Amino acid sequence: MSALITLSVLAIVVLYLGLFKAKNALLPVTLVGLAVVLGLAVREWNSNAAPIYSSMMLFDNFAVAFTAICVFSTMLILLISKDYFERISEHVAEYYAIILFALTGILVMVSYHNLSMLFIGIEIMSVSLYILAGIRKKSYSSNEAALKYFLMGAFSTGFLLFGITLLYGATGSFDIAVIKNYVISNPTHISPLFYSGLLLLIVGLCFKVGVAPFHFWAPDVYEGSPSLISVFMMTVVKTAGFAAFLRIFLFCFAPLHDFWMMPLMVITILTLFIGNISALYQHSFKRMLAFSSVSHAGYMLFAIVALGSASINAVILYATAYSVASIIAFAVLILVKRQMGSDNYESFNGLGRKNPFMAFALTVAMLSLAGIPLTAGFIGKFMMFSSALSEYHVSLVVLAVINAVIGIFYYLRVVVSMYFKDSDQHVVQSTPIFSFVLAFSAIVTIVLGVYPGLISNLF
Amino acid sequence: MEAQSTSLNYLPIIFQLLVALGFVVFTMTLTHLIGPKRKTADKLVAFESGIKSIGNARQPFSIKYFLVAILFVLFDVEVIFMYPWAVNFREFGLNGLIEMFIFMGTLLLGFIYIIKKRALDWD
Repeated sequence: MSALITLSVLAIVVLYLGLFKAKNALLPVTLVGLAVVLGLAVREWNSNAAPIYSSMMLFDNFAVAFTAICVFSTMLILLISKDYFERISEHVAEYYAIILFALTGILVMVSYHNLSMLFIGIEIMSVSLYILAGIRKKSYSSNEAALKYFLMGAFSTGFLLFGITLLYGATGSFDIAVIKNYVISNPTHISPLFYSGLLLLIVGLCFKVGVAPFHFWAPDVYEGSPSLISVFMMTVVKTAGFAAFLRIFLFCFAPLHDFWMMPLMVITILTLFIGNISALYQHSFKRMLAFSSVSHAGYMLFAIVALGSASINAVILYATAYSVASIIAFAVLILVKRQMGSDNYESFNGLGRKNPFMAFALTVAMLSLAGIPLTAGFIGKFMMFSSALSEYHVSLVVLAVINAVIGIFYYLRVVVSMYFKDSDQHVVQSTPIFSFVLAFSAIVTIVLGVYPGLISNLF
Repeated sequence: MEAQSTSLNYLPIIFQLLVALGFVVFTMTLTHLIGPKRKTADKLVAFESGIKSIGNARQPFSIKYFLVAILFVLFDVEVIFMYPWAVNFREFGLNGLIEMFIFMGTLLLGFIYIIKKRALDWD
């Protein structure tokens, strides 16, 4: 829990650094602070945590693992933020502080032991993101993203709250341990209120992680927001959303598997097809990544459909692989867009000859997102599919494999642009920090692909 | 922790809802039916505390009003937390005092931030 307190204090410190004109100290202080948070969180691994603060929070191994992934991804994203926010406006400290506040909400979301804390965590995160989506005040698309995200987010929060209310009505408590006892002790006559509450909770959470048919906000918001914020939303926020989703299902609703399995399976299949087929028709690399993030949410839902002890491992590995690959893709996208002025596939023409290293890193990322062996993405998909197969969801896996094949087509389009098409553009300038992030993320992707045991056997 | 309420126990809520809706519908229909309708130009003007109304109310005004209003609400709402704390002051003991000081300290940091950012300067 010291990680959460440190993070909140860090955000206020960063805010005050901006107030006292210590512009150059912002990024180092943020990164060092996040490293401390990471250390504090990892130190609580296997400490046999008990619920704290009147059983509001539980910082168990599950929370530690997801905190570590989220903080780690945020550090990678913030590394490439150097000079990024300065181009938008002079309120740089506020941007860092709001990202840190969003991360605070995420820490609450992955360690809640009470449904009211789930709601508070989601709100702390969402309100920060509504602001971050609109930080380009003069850009119409950024404003559109912020407004759309706010309206949809507020709407989905309504569903979530209504679901929580009905669960409270049925069980008489927000505490997830009490809800679990209710489910176990009344196997035959569970109140209809409980079932309605469960369905509304699913709708609310599906909105937040952006899966079909609740995905309509996702592509526009991800495309309209500044790229650095988009990658934060697609990786860290999505991971946290699935962590919150998984935590309550694993803890409370596992005995009701037969009831919620069917709706979630339909949602999964819809998400896979809508995400992948829409991504096929995009001309903009950024919008393609937005739709691909919808389809990846579908793959991650596999872990919940085939709920079991392996689900946590599968989500952790998949989220890590997906986050790292997305960070590479967006790092290259930011550089290319800054110098070419466009994020269409054509902007990537000839990158393979002019910037071989950058093109190689992006290729690794695309292969990982497509799920080609020897990359982390393959292992992630493999774990998801094998857990589904062990529950005999054969048709689901067949449909998912078809979608993976569709995915390969659009992911490799950018690789084809880079290596097989020529253009007379200049070399895209990279900075040492960008190169470091690209190299480090590519190495993580390949190492996890070759030796997944590093993080795949945590639970 | 056995929830014994059936849907029958919620019936009064539905009655309450019906009575509330029915009252509105009833009184509005009745006044429309039996009230005299004599419209004059003066009656149709928006009532502005007796002062003659000037122009349309829907026009842009300075964002500063909005900023001050929202900051007022922000620091006003916090008082809601003080009341229950003050009522239970003895039970909470020293721990409660420390927690409240942390809360107020955080708010104070926000207040200093606002003053330093000159959000309350009018010019």
